[in-house]
Amino acid sequence: MSEILEQIATAVIEGDLDEIEDLTEDALDEDLSAQEILDGGLMAGMDHVGVEFKAGNMFVPEVLRSAKTMQTAMDIIKPLLIESGSKMVGKVLLGTVKGDLHDIGKNLVGMMCEGAGFEVNDIGKDVDPDGFIAAIKEFEPDIVGMSALLTTTMRAMEHTIKALEEAGLRDQVKVMIGGAPVTQAFADQIGADGYASNAASAADLAKQFVGTA
Amino acid sequence: MKRTNYRVNSGVRFQMLSNDQLEELFGGVLHVLEVTGLEVHHAESRDILKKAGAWVDGKRVRIPRWLVKKSLSLAPRSFTLFARDGNPKHNIHIGPGRAHFGPGPTCPNFIDIETLERRPYIKSDVPLVAKVVDALPNIDFCESLGTVNDVHHDLGALYEFAGMFPNTSKPIVAWSYDKFDSQAIHKIAITEAGGQEAFEQRPNYVHYCEPLSPLVSTFEALDKLVFAAKHRIPLIFTPCPIAGGTAPVTAAGIITQGAAESWMGLTIAQAIKPGLPFFMGGVYSVMDMNTMVLAYGAPELPLMMAGLTELAHYAGLPLWQTGGCTDSKVFDEQAIIEGSMSVFFSALTGGDLCHDVGYTESAMTGSVFQLCAMDEAIGYSRRITRGIEVNDDTLAVDVIHDVGPNGHYLRQAHTRRYYRNEFWYPKLCDRRNYEEWELMGKQSFKDRVVARVHDILATHQPSAIKPETEKVMQELIEEAEDRVLTDEWINRKPAD
Repeated sequence: MSEILEQIATAVIEGDLDEIEDLTEDALDEDLSAQEILDGGLMAGMDHVGVEFKAGNMFVPEVLRSAKTMQTAMDIIKPLLIESGSKMVGKVLLGTVKGDLHDIGKNLVGMMCEGAGFEVNDIGKDVDPDGFIAAIKEFEPDIVGMSALLTTTMRAMEHTIKALEEAGLRDQVKVMIGGAPVTQAFADQIGADGYASNAASAADLAKQFVGTA
Repeated sequence: MKRTNYRVNSGVRFQMLSNDQLEELFGGVLHVLEVTGLEVHHAESRDILKKAGAWVDGKRVRIPRWLVKKSLSLAPRSFTLFARDGNPKHNIHIGPGRAHFGPGPTCPNFIDIETLERRPYIKSDVPLVAKVVDALPNIDFCESLGTVNDVHHDLGALYEFAGMFPNTSKPIVAWSYDKFDSQAIHKIAITEAGGQEAFEQRPNYVHYCEPLSPLVSTFEALDKLVFAAKHRIPLIFTPCPIAGGTAPVTAAGIITQGAAESWMGLTIAQAIKPGLPFFMGGVYSVMDMNTMVLAYGAPELPLMMAGLTELAHYAGLPLWQTGGCTDSKVFDEQAIIEGSMSVFFSALTGGDLCHDVGYTESAMTGSVFQLCAMDEAIGYSRRITRGIEVNDDTLAVDVIHDVGPNGHYLRQAHTRRYYRNEFWYPKLCDRRNYEEWELMGKQSFKDRVVARVHDILATHQPSAIKPETEKVMQELIEEAEDRVLTDEWINRKPAD
């Protein structure tokens, strides 16, 4: 691995927001491609973060700092990736379903997915089925993530999936769901593609869906 | 920060007895020492006491109040016990508001590390216990959790020290059978420290001896105490009175008698070496009137120990506390309830050195697994006793303002600044969700404790002792092995 890519990976691991922009620019000056920076620097760093987090050696605030560092670099290289026709990791659309105002878990999922290299569009909370449909049409995500904290609101996930079917969008996206009362059995029952029990495994599941895990 | 007349409680406040009650207890102890007196089975000690101003009548010694008060005023409330290798993290700073924890000595049995079965305690168990003590972050000093059974019965204490000293640099609390043990142990410790004077400045172990309840100071206890005082070895003089059996049934009564027993030792020690660091202490608990055992898991134990701690601190002495122990025979819910409650209570009192962490079966069986589980309970307790810090930054009104309604705190620099110190992170208690816990093999708390002990023993490397100390240690053991085979030793008579 080139020295600059190693420095980028280290900056991601350490959450070094001050250095990451300069390092990314330097790498581009050294004629490294955006794809090389993404794979060899940013993702290498985040992979390390993921391992350390699972081992209990890194904690959520540090992981989020690393994810933010990666996103800062992504803002620079994204136009170049698009220009060169490189395949991005993928796009995730996230929202808390109709009637539910809880969102700390969904926010965590979003940040973890960003850390895994996804482009994330968070459409907030109390989102009705039409809101999801409009956002899917506009953002064209690979994955739709829905969250609910309450047993009274989790049924809205089922309504949303039905609405996606009726709108003819269901086959374009993978649907993953989560939240305290949600289970794998419930996911199977309402026809979701997957369930994750916490934010880190949601990011893993998203990677499986796009075939990068 | 501009503050006026602002009071800070930087931890959880705990106080049981009022000043009036403590004064009354204090007066009771002085009365027992002056009016009733104690039997002192040690001629040299009686001479020392007489010279200091005590009334000696045969073996009965009565100490006037002024002499007890003088002795109390000579003993320090604050001092440091040093790690033998200079590791500052392993030093123990004795002083107000500081609670420390460690195992106890002399259980006949041990829970085998591999089979988890109860069996006699043997020599090869000592290094394992010391290594685990060295590795556990909330265990501060070392004892061995057992009496070595598989060596000459007069040499158990020496083999025990020789097994502990190279395997932990945390300060050791050493007991002994007699002065010969004490001499050998001291030689090992001062060799490592770099001589007697270096040891006096940076003591790396504490000498433990026990008077007998009720109101007797035995020859061996005092012979060791005199040796320790002459060599300026910090001293613990700790009775083990049993309420309703060898002490009054009431908590106030057992505290009064037990303190008198400790202060007899204090008076002798301070007369020999003014300013000697001295811990009063004990294991104070009840005789269960049904099973007749000295109960190590009874609520009266932490209660009586809390009262004793307050009396000790009132009198200006550090305390040898007790906690983390249980009457349970196995590693079960009873063991954890009794151990955790007494550990927490002990932490609240700020009793200076809390021992017997890891005792099970009413002190009949030492368990390194109980010790490891209690390390977690002590960590938990210490987070609570550390309390809540209140200042402009922790108040966080600016952060609350910035985040506002509907926001979140995960990306705040404030969160990153504090989450490690404000939160305690368990090593053994599991907080994973069900799915992950299932994925990790559905381990119980006990499974995780056993795994942690095995992991420590497989990976932890304590710092080594000096080669010359190792050599001296081997020579002393050989000398002692020779000594106990001589006719003189075998036919020796008990002194008085």
